[in-house]
Amino acid sequence: MAKSEVAVAGVGLSKHVSKRRDVNIAELVWEAVSACYENAGLKPKDIDAFITGNMPAFEGVNLPEEWGAGHWGAYGKPLLRITTGGTTGGSVAHGGYYAVASGLYDTVLAIAFEKQSDGNSTAGLNTVAIADAAAQFALGVDPAFLAAFGGGAVGVAVYQASSYMKSSGCTTQHLDKVAALCRNNAALNPYSHLKQPGLTPEEVAKTVLLQHPIRFGHVCPATDGACAMLFTTGEKARRLVDKPAYVLSVASCSDEAAMVGIAGSGTTNVDPCTQESCKIAAARAYELAGIKDPRKEIDLAEPYAPFAHQMLMFYERLLLCDEGEAPAILDSGSMNLDGELPVCPSGGVISTNAIGASAMERVAECAQQIMGRCGERQVKKEVHKAVAHGWGGAVNLNVVAVLSDTPRR
Amino acid sequence: MEYKNETVSIEGGWPMEHWQWKFESLALIRKTLEALREKKLLGLKCPGCGLVYFMPKPYCRCLSIPDEWVEVKDTGTVTTYTFTGAWAYEGIADEGPAGTPLIIVGIVLDGTDTMTVCTLSDAKPEDVSVGMRIRLQWPENPEGKLEDLAYCVPL
Ligand SMILES: [Zn+2]
Repeated sequence: MAKSEVAVAGVGLSKHVSKRRDVNIAELVWEAVSACYENAGLKPKDIDAFITGNMPAFEGVNLPEEWGAGHWGAYGKPLLRITTGGTTGGSVAHGGYYAVASGLYDTVLAIAFEKQSDGNSTAGLNTVAIADAAAQFALGVDPAFLAAFGGGAVGVAVYQASSYMKSSGCTTQHLDKVAALCRNNAALNPYSHLKQPGLTPEEVAKTVLLQHPIRFGHVCPATDGACAMLFTTGEKARRLVDKPAYVLSVASCSDEAAMVGIAGSGTTNVDPCTQESCKIAAARAYELAGIKDPRKEIDLAEPYAPFAHQMLMFYERLLLCDEGEAPAILDSGSMNLDGELPVCPSGGVISTNAIGASAMERVAECAQQIMGRCGERQVKKEVHKAVAHGWGGAVNLNVVAVLSDTPRR
Repeated sequence: MEYKNETVSIEGGWPMEHWQWKFESLALIRKTLEALREKKLLGLKCPGCGLVYFMPKPYCRCLSIPDEWVEVKDTGTVTTYTFTGAWAYEGIADEGPAGTPLIIVGIVLDGTDTMTVCTLSDAKPEDVSVGMRIRLQWPENPEGKLEDLAYCVPL
């Protein structure tokens, strides 16, 4: 276990909307990067190394750092790109943590982004699904036959929602409530995409059913946006900002792919809602952070939830309550901005999903809530410890980070 | 000089022969598909931990190599499900669900430890539930294709 203190001293976000036609990728990312330089009080010359990441193929360009690096201040510096699907941003943040915790670099800029409107996300998703489907195509299976089972981008989520609702007692009304809670939080966040102040669960319930049990109102938008975070040593962070957010631990866990299985062979991951790998990663992260009882010690959670049921499901899988308890905790009001354990104060992925950036924005929100920089959406309670989560891959990879207002003892 | 405002397409493709595993995943799947012609379901059992894979898999999550062919039943249990709403294959349809919703279930066949997806016929959306029992609905003359396993009915 690394002994060095790692802290976040700056966070920058671009404007997040569905189509940023006014800027290209490098310029969009610059909005986040320059904001991060500014609020950490640093210049590009102060950065020792860069970690970047986005979803491969979604913009139709790859190796984006090859032409973005110069624009972000990375020429002549070490640069590493990390890309792990939906978890990309979380993994990039982990990369920033590792780089500093290892003692190799003092000050690291971590950058994650997606400009979905530049490309074709369905084509991008196909490059992911090909590993599952290739053997079946090779056997002559009609792609339309597979598409019928996949159900497009909603595919995996609907299967997960059905089994989660059965095992937890979560109802469609709970899904409506989650969407309303998040979109109302998003309305207070200047960097969110879908702002729906005053949205009620009843209004969500009236949106069209995409594929049982998921309605249009339960699903994230496709967003253009970028996020940058400055990771540095505890000592340097204290010099740069009044109140740094310390990264106590990171942990990740990969499980067997779910649904059809890699290359069409079977998968023993038979229920997409169990998410054992999330529980394993969370338990490891808490242990590394010295947290004995996450239910008592965690003040705020940013689970990765592009679909409404996932906010409740991952709340449980992050070991913040017993399995099946999250719907009742939502009903109690505890997850609200003024609640006992606020969840998705940023508005969550269901309100803003620049895919490659999304899992980093969970970490960024935890950091900013700890730093007290969240303005209107700053939660009522004092945040000492917060947990950030990312989910991706073939529903099988989970990443967890624990942040705090005090360094690890 | 002006920038062009148009989409440029460049051809590409995925050669399917590049996706084979050293352990011949396709050969395993072909053997299982071939047996479908006799309405037999062949799974592959792991010697290390006993998990039974259907479809067969060339390596187990315990990193042993499954090598024992076992016949599994055509009955099973629903682990999850969905049915189609406004989501059409091309995207979101303009007006509500078109026609009868297709019910798709995740099933674990008896004697196996893996999930597969299947279309549930002879059932209404309100009848489907996690845990319900089903039986594969064989075509009259199975052709040894994955499509032979496309349908099941409530048991
Ligand atoms: Zn095994």
